[in-house]
Amino acid sequence: MRGRTGVGAAVRIGWLVVWIVVAANLALILWAVLTSLRDGPDILRHTVGLPHDPKFANYVRAFREGGFAQATLNSVLAGGMSSLLAIVLAAPAAYALARHRTRMSSAITMLFALGLGVPGQVLVVPLFVGLAQVDLVDSRLGLTMVYVGLAMPFTVFLLTGFFAGIPTALEEAASIDGAGPVRTFVSVVAPVARGGLVTAFLLQFIASWNETLFALVLTHSQDKVTLPVALAEFVASAQFSGLDYGTMFAGVCIILVPMLALFSWMGARIIQGMTLGIGK
Amino acid sequence: MGNTAKKTGRLVALAAAACVAMTLTACGGTSADDAKDGGGFTYWSMWREEEPQAKVLKAALDQFQKDTGITVTVQWTGRDVSKKIGPAIAANQSPDLWDQANDAIFGATAQAGQALDLSPVLAMAIPGESGTVGDVIPAKYFDMMPKDPAGSNHYVIPYEVASAGVFYNAADADLGTAMPSAPSTWDAFLAVCEALKAKSKPCVASDGGETWLNELYFDGLLNAGGVDVAKLSADKSGAAWDDPAVLKAAQQVEQLVKGGYILPGYDATKYPAQETNWALGKAAFYNNGSWVTAEVAKQVPAGWKFGSFSVPGARAADAALFGFAIPKRAKNPGPAQKFIAYFLQKSMLSGISTTAGNITPRADIPAPAELEAVQKTLSAGQVRMVFDGVAGDWQPKVLDPGYLKLWHGKTTAADFVATAKQAQISFWKTQS
Amino acid sequence: MFWLFTSPALLAYLVLFVAPVAYAFWTSFYKWDGMGDKQWRGLRNYQVLFEDPYFRGALVNTLKITFVGGSITFVLSLLLTLVLREMRGRLFARSALFFPSLVNGMVFGIAAGFLFSPSGPVNQALGLLGIDTPPKWLATENLFPMILGTLVWTATGYYTSIIMAAVDQIPPYLYEAAELDGANAFQRFRVVTLPMAWDVIATCAVLWTVSSVKIFELILLFGGSSSATPPADTWNTALYVYVQAFPQATVPRLGMATAAAITSLLMITVITVVLRRLLRREPVEN
Repeated sequence: MRGRTGVGAAVRIGWLVVWIVVAANLALILWAVLTSLRDGPDILRHTVGLPHDPKFANYVRAFREGGFAQATLNSVLAGGMSSLLAIVLAAPAAYALARHRTRMSSAITMLFALGLGVPGQVLVVPLFVGLAQVDLVDSRLGLTMVYVGLAMPFTVFLLTGFFAGIPTALEEAASIDGAGPVRTFVSVVAPVARGGLVTAFLLQFIASWNETLFALVLTHSQDKVTLPVALAEFVASAQFSGLDYGTMFAGVCIILVPMLALFSWMGARIIQGMTLGIGK
Repeated sequence: MGNTAKKTGRLVALAAAACVAMTLTACGGTSADDAKDGGGFTYWSMWREEEPQAKVLKAALDQFQKDTGITVTVQWTGRDVSKKIGPAIAANQSPDLWDQANDAIFGATAQAGQALDLSPVLAMAIPGESGTVGDVIPAKYFDMMPKDPAGSNHYVIPYEVASAGVFYNAADADLGTAMPSAPSTWDAFLAVCEALKAKSKPCVASDGGETWLNELYFDGLLNAGGVDVAKLSADKSGAAWDDPAVLKAAQQVEQLVKGGYILPGYDATKYPAQETNWALGKAAFYNNGSWVTAEVAKQVPAGWKFGSFSVPGARAADAALFGFAIPKRAKNPGPAQKFIAYFLQKSMLSGISTTAGNITPRADIPAPAELEAVQKTLSAGQVRMVFDGVAGDWQPKVLDPGYLKLWHGKTTAADFVATAKQAQISFWKTQS
Repeated sequence: MFWLFTSPALLAYLVLFVAPVAYAFWTSFYKWDGMGDKQWRGLRNYQVLFEDPYFRGALVNTLKITFVGGSITFVLSLLLTLVLREMRGRLFARSALFFPSLVNGMVFGIAAGFLFSPSGPVNQALGLLGIDTPPKWLATENLFPMILGTLVWTATGYYTSIIMAAVDQIPPYLYEAAELDGANAFQRFRVVTLPMAWDVIATCAVLWTVSSVKIFELILLFGGSSSATPPADTWNTALYVYVQAFPQATVPRLGMATAAAITSLLMITVITVVLRRLLRREPVEN
């Protein structure tokens, strides 16, 4: 390996630190998974331990009684639909913004970019009040719409950068063939940009999967909530009823493991996408 | 290229189909919610579907729908229902019925004049019984509550009553010798702690960050000293904190802390770590609401026998009511009121005791065995609200920060009172 | 064509994003419980906000997260970049460092209650190392530092990965040339990595500013595990807004909530503008 000779003691210590942190991260995941297979009293007596006879019943209880089954479905729906819609809306806009270098287009690009700096707490009260007026509080559609809105700045920003990097030669060829702008975009540009679109989808999906503030405020009935709310509510119900810790950790894993799976499968793409959005 | 174009076309079609599908499901969902007409009503519950109280309510709701033909749309919202109700009322989307603790109902709705006066419900006959709702719910529960702007204190109809108390295992032999009978004064209580300490058994269990639970001692001691917490908290000048009785209560708390009677490590645990330790017998006493018996039911070892007493010296047993309320802007208050009366039937309400392990307001429904003593205390004498009904912002902003320091032994009683006084002055300044 | 392509996104953005911001701004001048009528208050809400010690505390906590947490995060990230570039198994290590940023913050709050309890595994491990009086991790006054630590830990992994991805794009010959000049690992970092990845680092700093102000769920479950609000000592502005707008047992104070939200927006704006000024690529000296 290059540079072996230049490796000093400080760097070696650094390697050690990195591996310790890596081990701690892995241990944490492992611990959460193992704990989700143990029963409540056992967990309270010994924080760390192996499941003696794995309690898969924790998962059954979480899915059935804890409402995590419906919540998982809601999370997948809200995350999937909002990400899809966000891209359907943002991709053409980003493409147009990347290709048209006019004053108007840079003003619009700027308007979207400004949204990146707005924290969720600014939007939470107005969106609640607004959605309540049109009867979209505590509804999957309402939450999905909110996620689409929240996704706009970053998705447009990410995809504008992405489209700007695609050479214009293809479109020129298409327009010589007589294709209109819509057809050119759908059949020529979008396929080439598929990588970027998938990345944008993934990032948006991850963001809405973990989104807590808006979900907590905008949904409450057990058949409408997403996973973070289901977990928060499950924890809050400990008072007065006692908490089943095994089931709670099952809930933790239901949130955590899909992200782990997604990350092991598409990790490189996720990191690359985030860099892409930032580098431009 | 033609190939990719086709693929993209399919992708777009798929996306469009998915969008349509989603809109349809979403619409389906909303239309189901809208089934308010036809004599139905909506109910947002403080319980989650898997909780025992929810099971009792669900059985009653099913039976009610069968008996009356009224359809009920239930949402098992959970504890946060009190956070959702105000905004929902604001948007004219409020449910017709909801439930929570009396202080939460007062704070979130009644105080702003947004809760319906349920006096008519008290006059309603209970189905299948000879009496009215008012006959089975002792009037003292209403009398203790603050009045709303219209002068009514009938904005909650309780179906579960809880009382905070110091709980212990009456079957514990060490404790039996240290405490032959429940202490009636604070000093007697500290003497019990001292006796336990001699046997190197910690006296009191506490999760240091659980402000409400730890403040129950202070609340009880203030009551013993004749201080009304509601009046104390409402004084904008902060002068109410200068009452020597307040300082005395704080000093009594300080005695407990400085005496080393609290289970070690309590200032660095998170609920329910120490509650669990108590249930496993590592400390003698735990001050909590009477729901705690249900909370730890799965953890206590066999042979455990619950005993309890109020904070020694307290003049009245404290009570917290969990009950139904109807927002003033509810669209279908009629059928909702009908259900309240329906649920208070002995046969329905008994489930709160038998299934959910809690006390009901009806004297003719026996409490679960572990709460018999609590029920007796409640029915015997005076009742008052926990913290005299103070709830909401005052606690986290005025009482909690200073009290935690006192509870953790980081400040003296006098300093705590001074800090709280200052905090209260600036609190009221920001409330205008 | 331009408007055909941009207007759907623009419409969604205006309705679901820009209008709410404007509405928040407008509401912040009123006293409103959400149920009754709005009452005009002008700038009183903002004045009251700054008189409220809890808002000041929340603001200080937010700034601590942004600046203290941010400085530590970026120093650590850059140190890790220095180390990771030449490490064996670096791709795996990077992934493992990155993963916590994909985990919902509530999970850390729940886990901490177990792992850092007085008799928990962390203290047991410390006991093995001979540390018998470990800190009281979960004591109220330590909660905020714990939250900050958790944030630094997750954010460091995140920003390290992003900066590393940029570092991977640096042509290797630059490093080889530096090596031939006799530069050691740190010098190579200073003359090659830092200037080449500067744009990404600067953008990361802005990104951190924005995302650090949004932190919410981590704090929500770190302090209290029952339904109560977390201790006021741990609030940041996001929590403050939430507590004002969706209180447990009092009437909502939407005017104050939006005023607090607008204040945090202004704060982000100022910090971002200053930061961009400061981080504008300077000609790299040497």
